[in-house]
Amino acid sequence: MKATRVLAVARKTLRSLKHDKRTVGFLVFMPLFMIAIFGYTFGGSLEDVSVYVVNLDPGVGNASASEAIVAELAASGVLRVEQVIGPEGDPARSVEQALAEVEAGNAWAAIVFEENFTADVLRSVADAGSVPTGVPGAITIHLDASNPNIAQAIMNEVQLTVQGVIVSEYHLLPPMTVSEVRVYGEDAEFIDFFAPGVMGLAAMMVTFMLSIISFVHERSTGTLDRLLTTPVTEGEIVAGYALALGLVGLIQSIVILVTAVALFQVQIEGSPMLVLLIIFVLGAGNQGLGFLLSSNAKNEFQAVQFMPMILFPSILLAGVFWPIEAVPDLLRPVSYFVPLTYAVEGCRSVMIRGWGLGDVWFQLAVLATFAVVMLLLSTYSLKKRR
Amino acid sequence: MKNKGGAAGDKPGFEDGEGSVVAEKLRKEFDGLVAVDDLDLSIRRGTLYGMIGPNGSGKTTTIKIMVGRLKPTGGRARVLGEDVPIVERVADIGYMPQEMAIYTELTVSENLQLFGELYSMKPGPRAEREEELLSMVDLRERRHSLVSQLSGGMKHRVSLACSMIHDPEVLFLDEPTVGVDPELRVGFWQHFTDLKARGKTVIITTHYMDEAVRCDVVGMMRQGRLIAEGKPKELMERTSTSNLEDAFMEFSWRDAA
Ligand SMILES: Nc1ncnc2c1ncn2[C@@H]1O[C@H](COP(=O)(O)OP(=O)(O)O)[C@@H](O)[C@H]1O
Ligand SMILES: [Mg+2]
Repeated sequence: MKATRVLAVARKTLRSLKHDKRTVGFLVFMPLFMIAIFGYTFGGSLEDVSVYVVNLDPGVGNASASEAIVAELAASGVLRVEQVIGPEGDPARSVEQALAEVEAGNAWAAIVFEENFTADVLRSVADAGSVPTGVPGAITIHLDASNPNIAQAIMNEVQLTVQGVIVSEYHLLPPMTVSEVRVYGEDAEFIDFFAPGVMGLAAMMVTFMLSIISFVHERSTGTLDRLLTTPVTEGEIVAGYALALGLVGLIQSIVILVTAVALFQVQIEGSPMLVLLIIFVLGAGNQGLGFLLSSNAKNEFQAVQFMPMILFPSILLAGVFWPIEAVPDLLRPVSYFVPLTYAVEGCRSVMIRGWGLGDVWFQLAVLATFAVVMLLLSTYSLKKRR
Repeated sequence: MKNKGGAAGDKPGFEDGEGSVVAEKLRKEFDGLVAVDDLDLSIRRGTLYGMIGPNGSGKTTTIKIMVGRLKPTGGRARVLGEDVPIVERVADIGYMPQEMAIYTELTVSENLQLFGELYSMKPGPRAEREEELLSMVDLRERRHSLVSQLSGGMKHRVSLACSMIHDPEVLFLDEPTVGVDPELRVGFWQHFTDLKARGKTVIITTHYMDEAVRCDVVGMMRQGRLIAEGKPKELMERTSTSNLEDAFMEFSWRDAA
């Protein structure tokens, strides 16, 4: 293997990309666009979820636990309390009225405080420390759970608010406490979790795409054949391409890292260099994969058809947006065969946990093995073509 | 390793007595279709050799075997004393494919640079050679244009220049004059003649049979076989014709008979 020839191939690959302004734009803006879209979409929390409240609880004397809770709910940004119905009027009709709004799709939930809510709470306070004599205060939530995220958010919000009010106003302490001490990810938000994933995904997508399309093009125009009549070897061509496309993946990762830090204050606890190294190795491997598949495509159009086959398993199974623990048992083994899984795991550990080379060596080794095997197979398939 | 730069002294197994390019019962079949049919060929060093024949007569296939891009299904081919695909002296051959196998998304100059670098040329000599070739193909003004923006004939000229960047010992040119203006074509042939004078072997295929009168030796191909070979003048004399096209027709008749 001669370095000058590897570099010549790498240079020509980068140059032909460079002359194509739209492709350059795509390579730079696609990752920027991806991280921005994902960042703004997933980075935000739920807000202004419409709910109706039916308060059947008249309170005890001046005190009303339900009113205090409703006030808190209305003050938080998550729920928008459209209307509080009751406690005056016929209870059954009040509930019906609120339910009708949920059924009509005007609200996600109707939150009903039962008639004796405050009385039940007060009895619990009096009973504290002895054998309970009554039923606890009850809230019923009629949910439109067609969107699980929203349903979950409503339940969480109501539970947290109820707990808060009961503790602060009625000094009714729960029988135990559970507290959280973060080992890693002290200030981690969801975007910190998926930024490394998006980075790996973007690098993988682009190196694979560029590789398969370039090689289909090289084969169909006869340039690949022509190269092979010169002293350049199959291995040198493959290495030159891997170098060039690995670099493209690197540049994209830098764009993503900078954007993620600037726009979303994503944290990078560990070494950014280590993150880039992981991405480079991933890119080189995908270049080889693209190359291998390119021999099974007759033209660029057929090449593009391989994209979803490679992309979907990666997006869904590699833990980009949800952890691979969330992947069903049946598919989990597939996750371990998707190289992106290791890149995402590695980048995430470096960025959030601040791990070093010694901690992510396994992921790096898997990716390096993938790259070496792909590049060797590519070289072999080229040799066989003679 | 495949590389072996330049013209070193220890050229393996190649004596001047043997032709630069030799074929013995060379055969290539594509799924039963015989493209090259037991071809015998011997081209001496320093010859400008014209391979003529209609489309489909097996010219391209023969050249591709010589440059190592196709495996023969029978017989044997030797280039510069090495069995194909040659390895030791691969840097001593040049090849211009029939199709436009250059990088259209690179500039003219970048294409030349790439091929120069693949032949391990030093930047100085490479730049000098680039000037020379750009003059020859009349593309000095377009050196920084993307190949995709050139006309068909210009692209052919770039491709020709790329095959000659390293001044090879043996040059295989598959239809180099297609789409080239008559004026420039004269210049090309002058250049090929100069190469020959410097001891290079040049093998040119063309289906414009008449332009092959400028060759030292012409081989006429028909259905994958050599039906006649000799100096252009001799071939015309043997058939009592006044041009190679008519001579070819005559030989074709005789061959079919
Ligand atoms: N890759 C191939 N697969 C099948 N047939 C081929 C292939 N290449 C050439 N042929 C056939 O071989 C014959 C000779 O072709 P070719 O060598 O290109 O002729 P020429 O260059 O003289 O026009 C033709 O009949 C052609 O169709
Ligand atoms: Mg041909």
